Amino acid sequence: MSKKPVTQPALHKVIMVGSGGVGKSALTLQFMYDEFVEDYEPTKADSYRKKILLDGEEVQIDILDTAGQEDYAAIRDNYFRSGEGFLCIFSITEDESFQATQDFREQILRVKNDENIPFLLVGNKCDLEERRKVTYQEASDRAKQWGVTYVETSAKTREHVDKVFFDLMREIRARKMEENKTNNGRGKDKNKRKKIKCVIL
Amino acid sequence: MDFESPDVMKDFPGLYASDIHKTKSNDPEYSDDAEKVTKKDILIGKRKDKKDKKDKERGYAALEGESSAEESYEVSPSKSKKSKSFKFPTKSKEKREKSREKDKEFTEKKKEKDKRTEKKIEKDKEKCKVEKKEKKVKSEDWCDIAEVLPIFGVNLKLAIEHGRCHDGIDLPVPVRACIEYVEDHGLTFENVYKVSGPKSKVLHLKKLYNQREHVNLSDYDVPTVTSLLKMFLRDLPEPVFTADLLIRFEEAGAILNVAVREKHLKILVGNLPETNRLLLSWITVHLYNVTLNERLNKMSPQNIALCLSSTLQTSQRLLSSLLFHCPALFPNTVLEHYVYPLTSSSQLPDDPELMEQELLKQESLLAQIHSEMNVGFISKQREELLWEVQRIITQLKRKLKTANKDRELLFEKIDEQHVEETTENEGERSATPTISSEAEAPPSQSAECVEEPTTVEMEVTTEIAAPVSDTNLSDSSSCEKHSVKDAEPVEVTPSAPENKLLNNALAILQIKNTFLNNLKESFLKQIEQERAEITTLEAQLSQKDYIPFYGDTNSVSLDEIMDLLQKENQILQIKKINLVRQIMEQQEECIDLKTKIDACTKNVFLT
Repeated sequence: MSKKPVTQPALHKVIMVGSGGVGKSALTLQFMYDEFVEDYEPTKADSYRKKILLDGEEVQIDILDTAGQEDYAAIRDNYFRSGEGFLCIFSITEDESFQATQDFREQILRVKNDENIPFLLVGNKCDLEERRKVTYQEASDRAKQWGVTYVETSAKTREHVDKVFFDLMREIRARKMEENKTNNGRGKDKNKRKKIKCVIL
Repeated sequence: MDFESPDVMKDFPGLYASDIHKTKSNDPEYSDDAEKVTKKDILIGKRKDKKDKKDKERGYAALEGESSAEESYEVSPSKSKKSKSFKFPTKSKEKREKSREKDKEFTEKKKEKDKRTEKKIEKDKEKCKVEKKEKKVKSEDWCDIAEVLPIFGVNLKLAIEHGRCHDGIDLPVPVRACIEYVEDHGLTFENVYKVSGPKSKVLHLKKLYNQREHVNLSDYDVPTVTSLLKMFLRDLPEPVFTADLLIRFEEAGAILNVAVREKHLKILVGNLPETNRLLLSWITVHLYNVTLNERLNKMSPQNIALCLSSTLQTSQRLLSSLLFHCPALFPNTVLEHYVYPLTSSSQLPDDPELMEQELLKQESLLAQIHSEMNVGFISKQREELLWEVQRIITQLKRKLKTANKDRELLFEKIDEQHVEETTENEGERSATPTISSEAEAPPSQSAECVEEPTTVEMEVTTEIAAPVSDTNLSDSSSCEKHSVKDAEPVEVTPSAPENKLLNNALAILQIKNTFLNNLKESFLKQIEQERAEITTLEAQLSQKDYIPFYGDTNSVSLDEIMDLLQKENQILQIKKINLVRQIMEQQEECIDLKTKIDACTKNVFLT
């Protein structure tokens, strides 16, 4: 977390989860390289790093794009463990993928054992409104139930793509600051208090 | 919490630490089977193991009887800091301090930890949390992997698995590294393998390897490295020759008849399991290389056998015979240098083939990291490494993909162009349309030639024709297809700007193309000329042939015929040389042309 030498910008580790084919890689690639890949190619695992400006502060984001397929579930835990924030993606055109988010959520909570882990529920493919199977209400209800934010994105049109990553990073950052604060304020992010949220169990 | 306790424990190692510690402490072995050793188990195991380890190391020291292991233990943190160029610089120091405190505060801490996890958000959380963090760092990356998946002291298969070389050569990393080091720096070292290094250093190196730390052997000297290799071999539970075959090896080694001995040894080597054979071949070839430098290092085969027979758990005689027969037994063993998988700081290769190779390495490394993590070797560093390797793989894949895409695009482009130009060139030589027929043309010509009556000149043509086809084939395969006969740079430029990415590659290929075409044409002309020459020469020859045939009588003596033929041959030789020279000249011209064209196109592209 705040292990790196002070000269290094803060590093936030984001993990993309969700069923196969919902657009995890598409979102990632859109965010990383501003490109939209039409052809589907199942991911095993991919990792990216990017330097970005988060509210005027230079930070690095590490994105781990995981496999949607169960075949790779074995290695998933290894990644989940080191993730600091999660984007849980489903496709609004596919109800199954929405149902699957429940499992992913549980899996993450099991590995991280932390109800308040930075987490966003993301309904992708919102450009395909005519093929929508999951209503906005349905999804945001679930998000509310989990106590997380729900955002709809389109990797194709780039709608809200940056938003989900930046929102998540803000959460991660807030989370870290909070931890640092409780750790006698040893953290380097001390000066950025404004985003701290109170977390009560 | 509504989660099952094992999972909770997994993530909060301290949670039930004390209880489990009690129950588990009787359980000395943590196997890595599917039953899933939780992180917690490992952590607890570690605390214990740490003590064990000290004992163990002391045990080794006692065994070796030199400097104490305590020493090595103390030396290590600072040493490891120096030696590893990796990137966990500050930790070892922390670790050391902590390990000192640790034993004292051990029980105390545990209690606190229990408290903390149960009442998660209490005020003393801060304090505990700091402690937790420290504990994590300390326990997680300290010694577990060395205990659970050691490289030293386990059977060869496991050693290879645990210390894998990721380039497909199945030798344990330390063996590979030591051999490489001695090959590079120790072959001329006097009494190499006889002099042993300081025990503390050797043990330290062993520990680094067992802990998967990055080791830089060049920080050490030859005796230390040779001792490390010897230690690895000595620690193998089973001799390299395998328990089953050892006696037969010994018998074979004792055979007096050299040829029979070699034959028997060969068969036995063939009977060894793959991994053992590989290790044996590397070691023998390496030791053989050492003995080749006997003059400088004073190590004769006998000396080597004397020094290493006990290490290899064999007799001097067997080892000597192996060294004696080394070239015959392992003719194909090449001691390839091991290039470690790249780290994120290094530049990725550009050549697709190298990229593929590197990708394989990285994937092998990744698989190993995963499997190590699955048995509980989890630490911040390892996670960092996992992400890093994953990142390199992603980058490599992306790079490969773009490279392939570029190539495809380029081909499409060339195909288009090709179609255009072939239509232009319609009605020209039948050889023009595709490269395949072009490439085949020269060989077929030479084949035709072969059918013609054989003369000295004939050989010349084939000699010349062969290289022609070779060049065409190899060069054309390098740009894969197309042969655009009149491809001139001017033609390329208008279409090129369409795709900026391709500009450079296209330009280069185009130049090559033009160059090749020129070359080909010149060669074709050459061949035609030669064939004309051949026919005339043949005619001459056959005329001359008539002389002996018709004037079979004594009108022309044999001597005369001999003279004539010799002269003829001389002429032919000269002509041959001339032809070859002409070809060379033409080639040079072609190269000149190429450079000119190159320059031209560059200018065009610049403007």
